[in-house]
Amino acid sequence: MLKVPLSVDERWNLIEKISKQTVEFGARKHTLKDAIAELTVKPLTGIPVAIAVLYGFWSFFIDFAGTLFTDGFMVRLFDEHWLPWLQSVFPGGLGNPFYALLVDAGHMENGVLVASDNCLESFGVLTSGFFVPFGVVLWAVLAFYLMFALLEDVGYLPRLAVLVDTVLHKIGLHGYAIVPTFLALGCNVPGVTATRPLETRKQRFMMITLLSVFVPCGAQIGIMQDLVPELMGWIFLTLVIGYLGFGFILNKIVAGKSPEIIMDVPPYRMPMLKNIVSKLWIRTSRFLLVAVPFVLLGCLIVGLMYLTGAMDWLATVLGPFLMSWFGVPGETVAPLIAGFLRKDLAVGMLGGLMEQGIMTTFQVFTSVVLLCIYFPCLATFALMLKEENWKEFLGSIASLIAMVLVYGGLIHLVGIMLGVA
Amino acid sequence: MNELEEKFGQIYFAVLGAVGLAFGAAELIASAGEGFTWGILDSSGAADPTFLPWRAIILLSAGFFYLSSVKDFAEIHQLAKAVLGSIMIWIVAGMAIWSRIASSIPGEETWFNSLEGFLASYAPPYCPEMFLLPFSLVIVYYILKEKEAER
Repeated sequence: MLKVPLSVDERWNLIEKISKQTVEFGARKHTLKDAIAELTVKPLTGIPVAIAVLYGFWSFFIDFAGTLFTDGFMVRLFDEHWLPWLQSVFPGGLGNPFYALLVDAGHMENGVLVASDNCLESFGVLTSGFFVPFGVVLWAVLAFYLMFALLEDVGYLPRLAVLVDTVLHKIGLHGYAIVPTFLALGCNVPGVTATRPLETRKQRFMMITLLSVFVPCGAQIGIMQDLVPELMGWIFLTLVIGYLGFGFILNKIVAGKSPEIIMDVPPYRMPMLKNIVSKLWIRTSRFLLVAVPFVLLGCLIVGLMYLTGAMDWLATVLGPFLMSWFGVPGETVAPLIAGFLRKDLAVGMLGGLMEQGIMTTFQVFTSVVLLCIYFPCLATFALMLKEENWKEFLGSIASLIAMVLVYGGLIHLVGIMLGVA
Repeated sequence: MNELEEKFGQIYFAVLGAVGLAFGAAELIASAGEGFTWGILDSSGAADPTFLPWRAIILLSAGFFYLSSVKDFAEIHQLAKAVLGSIMIWIVAGMAIWSRIASSIPGEETWFNSLEGFLASYAPPYCPEMFLLPFSLVIVYYILKEKEAER
């Protein structure tokens, strides 16, 4: 017998027929949990709740990572104990290349090389290289994944997906895209992996490109929050506008379909401590295994580039372009190079430049946004290579370059028009 | 829930909703300007100016949730609105308390805060949602009552 594939309508009719024969329908009294579950997916009641949940998420994140651990203990540990101790016991001293690479490169003040007084400025493998992952990022990642695991296990994330479904449809994605986006806010690597359930190549391509450009990872957010807390609202607003705006453009120009997806919305459940702890352990340890070697390598490469004069050469060559197109000084070349290895490290380097008074507030804002959007970190880059075919990968890179040039230039233009650039 | 409990719930959450709305509106106005401190009530947003307007929106929404739950309060969907209003207050108030805990542990000059410094961190003034927190806990009684009825 010749098998003819069923059309979509025929399939639905068949499903209805089978369900009529197999499913018993009856009256069921709604429980309080059911009623709450319903209210949290309806826009009128669900959006205020979503605002409250996200408020709680970020408040906890900031106070846990920033106030309590980084500012409360880690800055003191690294700047008042670790750095002075290394400066006193490490052989070589200021000006020695080996000392500069591992402990403190120092900086020029009135033509004199002076020692750094904090681990963001020193830029040694043993100082900045340890401070960034263990002093700042670890606590940010821990706070992020704790809250994420709670939302996941309570069953709130699928409801958030339903709420944002209408908005994301406008850019050719659907509500499920909030899951990889949220995951990428912890680390872009699992975010890119989580795009696998998306049904078409077009949706995956768009999602991966948008994630790698407009979604900063937890490590980066943690260090941004530490350095420029007053600019965080503006930075996120700029990234959200970019995410939606370029998503809309990509949806128009990329060929392919964006079909509907049927998602299971589970009931609310009480999270289990054991699950939360094991998720936290798996995600945080994996993050540290990926991040720490790249941060140390980044410090080493940037240090070597400074010592050999390559960084000054690059700053001289690229400086005029960076200044004229993006409005940022040539000194941002070093963070941009380090950002390819680790974005958190790169933002930390910007902190060093800020403390030396090299940049204006708007230049700091532009540089931080540029660091977010200019290129994915090496780990994400490698995963993109694995997840996409060559054509898509090259397409992602081309889109990425175009987005950085257009959006970076646009931010500069807006700054000029507002008189702040 | 019996008739008396329903009547009490209606009046109680109507008043709490109105107070929530008033506090929310005050925080919204405060977020546009310098803010205010009135006795032990503080809405200056000095600690987190970025979050002040969001807090205001959440308080306003919680107030609306309470008020809209009042009609036919015993109906499960109406009660759920009051529960959500309380959950929203617990989130913002909980975060205000957590913020104080986080800043009270490390010391200024020493690793850990002194006992005096630690206790001083919990002294007034307090933000509006912290005042609403104990009153919002009344909903727990209704949740337990409903659970009992479900069983």
